[in-house]
Amino acid sequence: MTTPRPGTVLTAAATLALPLALRDDHLTLYVLLGLAAMVTIGLSMLMGYAGQVSLGQASFYALGGYAAGLIGVHGGPTLLGLLAAPAVAAAVALVVGVPILRLRGHQLAFATLALQLILLSLLGDATWAGGAIGLQGIPHLSIAGVELDRDIDYAYLTWAGVAVTMVVAHNVMSSRTGRGLRALATSETAAAASGVPVGRYRLLVFAVSAAFAGLAGGVYAFYVGYLAPGSFPVLLSVQFVVMAVVGGLGTIWGGLFGAAAVTLLVQLLTDFGTRPGMPSYAPSVLSYAVYAVLLVLVVLFLPHGLVPALRKWWPWHRPVRTRR
Amino acid sequence: MSAFLQYLITGLGVGCAFALIGSGLVVIYRVTRVVNFAQGAFAVIAAMTVSSLLGARVPHGLAEALAVALAGLVGLLVGLTAIGKPGTSPQSALIVTLGVAVFAYAVEILIWGDQPRSFPGLPASVTVLGARVQSHYLLIIAASALVFLAMALLFARTDLGKALTASAANPYAARIVGIDVRRMGLLSFVIGGALGGLAGVLVTPVQQVTFDGDVVLVVSGFAAAILGDLTRPAATLLGGLLLGVAQAMVAGYLSTSYQSEVALLLMLVVLIAQAARRPMIQEETA
Repeated sequence: MTTPRPGTVLTAAATLALPLALRDDHLTLYVLLGLAAMVTIGLSMLMGYAGQVSLGQASFYALGGYAAGLIGVHGGPTLLGLLAAPAVAAAVALVVGVPILRLRGHQLAFATLALQLILLSLLGDATWAGGAIGLQGIPHLSIAGVELDRDIDYAYLTWAGVAVTMVVAHNVMSSRTGRGLRALATSETAAAASGVPVGRYRLLVFAVSAAFAGLAGGVYAFYVGYLAPGSFPVLLSVQFVVMAVVGGLGTIWGGLFGAAAVTLLVQLLTDFGTRPGMPSYAPSVLSYAVYAVLLVLVVLFLPHGLVPALRKWWPWHRPVRTRR
Repeated sequence: MSAFLQYLITGLGVGCAFALIGSGLVVIYRVTRVVNFAQGAFAVIAAMTVSSLLGARVPHGLAEALAVALAGLVGLLVGLTAIGKPGTSPQSALIVTLGVAVFAYAVEILIWGDQPRSFPGLPASVTVLGARVQSHYLLIIAASALVFLAMALLFARTDLGKALTASAANPYAARIVGIDVRRMGLLSFVIGGALGGLAGVLVTPVQQVTFDGDVVLVVSGFAAAILGDLTRPAATLLGGLLLGVAQAMVAGYLSTSYQSEVALLLMLVVLIAQAARRPMIQEETA
């Protein structure tokens, strides 16, 4: 175990201090940012280490949300709902992952997209899940009799979730399994020849990334109290890809940083777009344009993402950490 | 029996549109190895353009032709973004085209708003063996047949078609024999754009089009094209027709709410079956 790095300490301190200083509407943004970061860290692992584009990551976000929401709505213990969210998402990932992960590159991208369209369509038809209208009246989360009903509670819950995600991701990546995965990302043939069980490791990353998304979805369900198929459009999956690519694939900080950068930029432009005098379509046009331009520019001109590019100027930069 | 025939012709018509979208994907993939996610956007842009032109009293025929030409031009722009920068890998280019597809949303909402659009096609309906069918479906089928015939001739009989195929099969060797690989790639994007645009123009009179309808179109087109491993136009046509007829039958005999699932599941099954025939570990090309 190494000593915590200065960057980690700074981030942790800022994370804990920020909610106290934020106004309510900013607190909402802070919660949503943390949730996006959880999903993006997982997707960044999946894309960076298993080398696969998933255009359906929002389906696991939705699965987690619905798992937590259904348990909550039916009067089950909400804490159980929160635990079920990542478990259900990971279980589904394990089941669909076996056939799906035989696919590569663009085929996997389209297959994950197809799975999300199927899930959305099934949810829209499922009367037990509220159909197209959605699941309403999801209670707040209560832990040991304490109900979390303020935004600030969810801010701390979310960022505790982000911390858990980062620790799990870090441990997976620096374990024996993680070394196998890094070998896998560099050369599949060489990794397999050295005894890395390629298929099983790929499935593992897929399930872990799904669990992260599911956890985020669970928190989202309790925080917002309402879920519908429309809350998880294909564009949300694209948004997670944008965040992961912008931050830098295969880095944990890249997931966090990408989610933060994109969320804040889109929010800034939405504020700008909703000013009096702006046409009603301005916010959506601006956010589509931001996602698109960021994605294209980063892929073309910063193919490793922002975090690896910024690392060079980071005062505590450690060049020894080899990545692919 | 007449109901069956009606579903069949409707399905063939819609299937032709899927096949046209898919053939655009095939042309671009054959030449550049890039899967163009923005393929559905070509259809949407062309369809919206026709609705505007018809609104400005441009006659039918001319409006459609202009829209297809515009889609070809948009294809060129997408191509320049996706493969214009040297050293962009096909995997990166896929993400770039995804970005371009989202950018198209912004442009489309800016120009046409976010409401669905449609415009009239061939007005009459005809009776085929006792089944009443909108004659527009027959127009779609006839136009697609011509396009696929032209494509088959292009790739099999002309030097240009061979140069296009060579660019992807072995870019290095193609360059040695004097083929401008980059120009071939851009040309494939222009053709792909025009094919996508034609699909949009043909299908809009029978199915409304919205700015984000491109996702369903591109997924259906991909599903059609995957049957031929994204390289064979004939298999794409077959895939599109199968898909269209399967959807129409499911919608006609079971329920309209399951028709998209059928298409998507069909695509997944084909993909996975194809993958099962390949070894788990693949050779690296780099």
